[in-house]
Amino acid sequence: MSGLRLRLKSAPVGRLDLSCLQPPVLTAETAANVARMPFEGGSVGDLFEVSAIGDADTLVLTGTTAACDGIGDHLKSGTIVVEGDVGSYAGRFMKGGRLDIKGSAGNYLGSGMKGGLITVAGSAGNFVGAMTPGEKFGMAGGVIRVGGDIGERAGDRMRRGTIVVKGKTGAMAGSRMAGGTIWAEGGFGPAAGTLMRRGTLIGPKAEQMLDTFADCGEHDMVFLRLISRFVAAELGPLAPAALPARVRRYAGDLATIGKGELLLTG
Amino acid sequence: MTGSQKMKVNGVAIDDTFAEAFGMSGTALIITADSQKWANIAAQTMTGFGTSVIGCGAECGIDYEVPASETPDGRPGVRVLIFGFSPDAILPQLKNRVGQCVLTSPGSACYNGLESAQRLALSAGPRFFGDGWQQSKRFGGRRFWRVPVMDGEFTIEDTVGVTTDAVGGGNLLILGRDRVGLLETAEAAVAAINKLPDVITPFPGGIVRSGSKVGSKYKGAVASTNNAFCPTLRGTTKSELDADTIAVLEIVIDGLTSKAVSDAMRVGLQAVTDIGASKGVTRVSAGNYGGKLGQHHYHLKDYVA
Repeated sequence: MSGLRLRLKSAPVGRLDLSCLQPPVLTAETAANVARMPFEGGSVGDLFEVSAIGDADTLVLTGTTAACDGIGDHLKSGTIVVEGDVGSYAGRFMKGGRLDIKGSAGNYLGSGMKGGLITVAGSAGNFVGAMTPGEKFGMAGGVIRVGGDIGERAGDRMRRGTIVVKGKTGAMAGSRMAGGTIWAEGGFGPAAGTLMRRGTLIGPKAEQMLDTFADCGEHDMVFLRLISRFVAAELGPLAPAALPARVRRYAGDLATIGKGELLLTG
Repeated sequence: MTGSQKMKVNGVAIDDTFAEAFGMSGTALIITADSQKWANIAAQTMTGFGTSVIGCGAECGIDYEVPASETPDGRPGVRVLIFGFSPDAILPQLKNRVGQCVLTSPGSACYNGLESAQRLALSAGPRFFGDGWQQSKRFGGRRFWRVPVMDGEFTIEDTVGVTTDAVGGGNLLILGRDRVGLLETAEAAVAAINKLPDVITPFPGGIVRSGSKVGSKYKGAVASTNNAFCPTLRGTTKSELDADTIAVLEIVIDGLTSKAVSDAMRVGLQAVTDIGASKGVTRVSAGNYGGKLGQHHYHLKDYVA
């Protein structure tokens, strides 16, 4: 099973839903067959130049823009490499495989994700790993790594999984969080952990920390070693440096059950 | 007891007999701590009173020390093995031993040490010590619990692998005319066996001096002294001992696989025959029940080069 490269012939004028591009389906076919597949009232070949590549079970998308939504939606296996920006809902409900975005991502990156790995070289928009309105939970597994900053409300109602951000988060990261971990190397924006019930936020600093987070003191916890080693194994050279032996623990949000935590490494 | 003396290696007679062992269930834990010393203390405590599944509920022992680079949390560790009649029989032993001996040990953490599809709920007891303050973290396919304790947190993995292909009761009987020399020889054999992975010798120092037979003249005693191997009874009972035998020591071997037990039998016998003659060892035998009870038979002749 070889891989495929799909080069967008021209930048889309409106939103373009690419959620149907799944490596296991497409890479089982020849480039010519894929080009003939129906898509958006025409065929894949109308929008993309399709060619074969050597990497097995891999789909490379080239020429994408921030108008290209839903890339990697419900991805279960295989790899999607995006050589450009992506729009909203990339990796939504992803269950396995790998989505590598060389540019930046829009809103709802990895929303409802259950497994697999998403890497973004640039930045990502609001609601990374979050739920969308009407859903019960956000991200429930897997790993997201963003090389730049991320927007507001990352991990909203997140339940499990790990988000690693090299930059900083926007406001209210971990809002209504029910579990999982957000590790922001650049720190957290205002009001991190608003109405957080459980889960872990890790970073060197947090702007405008909520009064409903209680200072528990500085501690060395074995769990810090586990997450450092886990992230290093998952991300390899993209992983942040191992956490320090001691962190300052703040428990919150005490406006709810207060079983979440904000761990400051600085 | 069956067998007759037909072989001699380095002056030590080897009975033409076999060790009869039984299918068991087994599991393995990795216990870590701030130092090797405290990992060892936790491991020794939790494997204590774990010599025989009959009287102790489980047969337990230290498999090997695990270097910090190979443990889940990067701290020094110890791998311990626990054997029981079934996974269901091991579970309460895990709960009690981990809860009373590892959870309580300063700086300790406890992880799965055996990859297997069949799992036991390792944290089912100890995590509730957290009284609602315990937290779960899942990294990849592994789930851990953080239980608040007075020196910080006790970290314990949610489940541990268990195998039903384990074997308990591999054994070597070392006979001779010098009790101290026998003990030194048995120590050397245990040391050789302890270098192998996936096996333990669960008795004190790996050595048993009170081999038993099934049954007793007394009601309620399921086992009693193996009078055929008691040197002081030689003139008064149907003895299996030679005229110059004044002591018998046994090494019992449990392993996660039959191959592990077999390998241990081999290195144990090799160690005995290497130095035994100079220590007063005259003979090596093995315990069995005529071959009708245990599924695994380890013939001594198979281990003689």
